[in-house]
Amino acid sequence: MLQLLRIDLKKLTSYRTFWIICGLYFFTLGMATASGMEFLKWLASLIEGFGQSINIDRIPLYHFPDVWQNLAWSSGLLKIMLGIMVLISITNEYSYRTVRQNIIDGLSRAEFLYSKITTNLLLSLLSMVLVFFVSLVTGLIYSPSLNWHYMFNGIEFFPAYFLEVFAFLSFALMLGIFVQRSGLSIVLLLNSYLIELIIKKNIDDYVPQVIQFFPLESIMNLVPMPFARYAFQEIQDYVSLPAVGIALVWTFLFNYFSYLRLKKADL
Amino acid sequence: METVLSIQDLSKHFGKIKAVNNLKLDVQKGQVFGMLGPNGSGKTTTLGMLMGVTNPTSGKFLWFGEEPTPQLRRKIGAVLEHPIFYPYLSGQKNLELNAMIKQCPVENIPRVLELVELTERKDDKYKTYSLGMKQRLAIASALLNDPTVLILDEPTNGLDPMGIAEIREIIRKIAANGKTIILASHLLDEVQKVCTHFAILKRGNMIYTGPVDDVGKGSETVEVNADVENFNEVLLTFSGTSSVNRENGVYQVTMRDGFHGKELNKFLFEKGIVVNHLVTKKKSLEKQFLEILSEAH
Ligand SMILES: Nc1ncnc2c1ncn2[C@@H]1O[C@H](COP(=O)(O)OP(=O)(O)OP(=O)(O)O)[C@@H](O)[C@H]1O
Ligand SMILES: [Mg+2]
Repeated sequence: MLQLLRIDLKKLTSYRTFWIICGLYFFTLGMATASGMEFLKWLASLIEGFGQSINIDRIPLYHFPDVWQNLAWSSGLLKIMLGIMVLISITNEYSYRTVRQNIIDGLSRAEFLYSKITTNLLLSLLSMVLVFFVSLVTGLIYSPSLNWHYMFNGIEFFPAYFLEVFAFLSFALMLGIFVQRSGLSIVLLLNSYLIELIIKKNIDDYVPQVIQFFPLESIMNLVPMPFARYAFQEIQDYVSLPAVGIALVWTFLFNYFSYLRLKKADL
Repeated sequence: METVLSIQDLSKHFGKIKAVNNLKLDVQKGQVFGMLGPNGSGKTTTLGMLMGVTNPTSGKFLWFGEEPTPQLRRKIGAVLEHPIFYPYLSGQKNLELNAMIKQCPVENIPRVLELVELTERKDDKYKTYSLGMKQRLAIASALLNDPTVLILDEPTNGLDPMGIAEIREIIRKIAANGKTIILASHLLDEVQKVCTHFAILKRGNMIYTGPVDDVGKGSETVEVNADVENFNEVLLTFSGTSSVNRENGVYQVTMRDGFHGKELNKFLFEKGIVVNHLVTKKKSLEKQFLEILSEAH
């Protein structure tokens, strides 16, 4: 497994586009999650311009334990960049025909796929670790007081966030293996939420209970949106186990479909 | 003799097209095996199946008597059709990647680069290479793991005459070490020079297989010329003549079995004709190839 990861990283680490996209992604991820207070200040000044005022200190964006879910959810929005990187990496293998040469040289088709999956695991892990540290540090800075009893409440949002990123990258990988062309697959990835949304809207009135089983929906449900709580609304502030189960099944299916497709294809 | 490759009723159909049709073939250790055939006759498809990238429709094949596995492929060096590498990686890095896939030491790289004379350009990006350099890198990569079998599909495509001669030398050297080579090529001259055996495919069917040494056995062709009127008719009166053709200003006499240039010369001399040109020609593989193809349907 480690050898397969090394093979895929060898391909990527000399690829400029990889550094640009991943650099941009991790930079944005770190900056965006850490600069929430600045954002709130900007928001407050904007609202003041309209003659209203909000007290941003009343919004405990970075206070333990809110910070975990707040940042895990916000970070999830950026995973699309990694998805595009995954698409470029896999569709390149088709346009250069290197997937063919890799097999000729002695990888099995499954090994080729594992090499891509392990890279997805690594990227998900790095995202999780980065966001965890940003949350920890900002939490320590901004929390008015530290209470060990509930400080780590909600830390389970990080494994959920990890699964969220990995499931999404698995989806992107599958899309790339089926579509094989970079432009088209990126367009499809960007539009997949829209397509799912249209379907969901159409069945919402009849069978709303199946919506949670939709693939992208299930990925979104892993870390629910937390910010409504600052408008005094009830939110789901825990990771739902059924949601994890559904997302796990989809993650397995994405990668299994990739495997089936790769196995059947003439390369 | 040890059978390196045994193909048993292998077929590949693309929809209606029978790219390879019930192919049966054995390749023995140490053979340099030429795969010949017109465009689209199924050579690349066959080699693709042997290397695990094209799924057979039916039939099977054994490498060294075993079912094919990725591990086995690592000991087979193969270049199919075009060189394939990561364009943004240097030649060196591409080979390092191949070494990781084939699980062989990176210390092999300088040797193969030296062999194909790419050492100077090894740190340049692959996409900046000329076609010939790309071909050479592909051959270097095929040789990287010190393979016991080498599969080359048009390895001299795009090479200059010197390059072609060098590749021929490389192939000879490797063959001299007792390695088995399977070579698909349209350069029949090259095949005749380096191959020990050959097979001819036509529309997915194998229509001929045999040793290269057998080419040119059987009837002989004698090229002859003399400053005589109606020389054509004189030649036809010789009892050993099967047919006469005029080509490039000389007469090509196809002899009946058992007759040779010597007897023709004697016959003409006795008729009082002195020839100014007489060459006994061994039949070329090219000629045989074209004959076999035109006979097969
Ligand atoms: N992926 C494919 N899909 C459909 N048909 C294919 C495919 N690959 C090959 N074929 C067909 O299979 C036949 C054999 O092709 P192949 O490439 O094996 O020929 P070849 O002997 O290598 O020819 P050449 O001398 O031109 O290299 C051709 O008719 C070709 O059109
Ligand atoms: Mg071919």
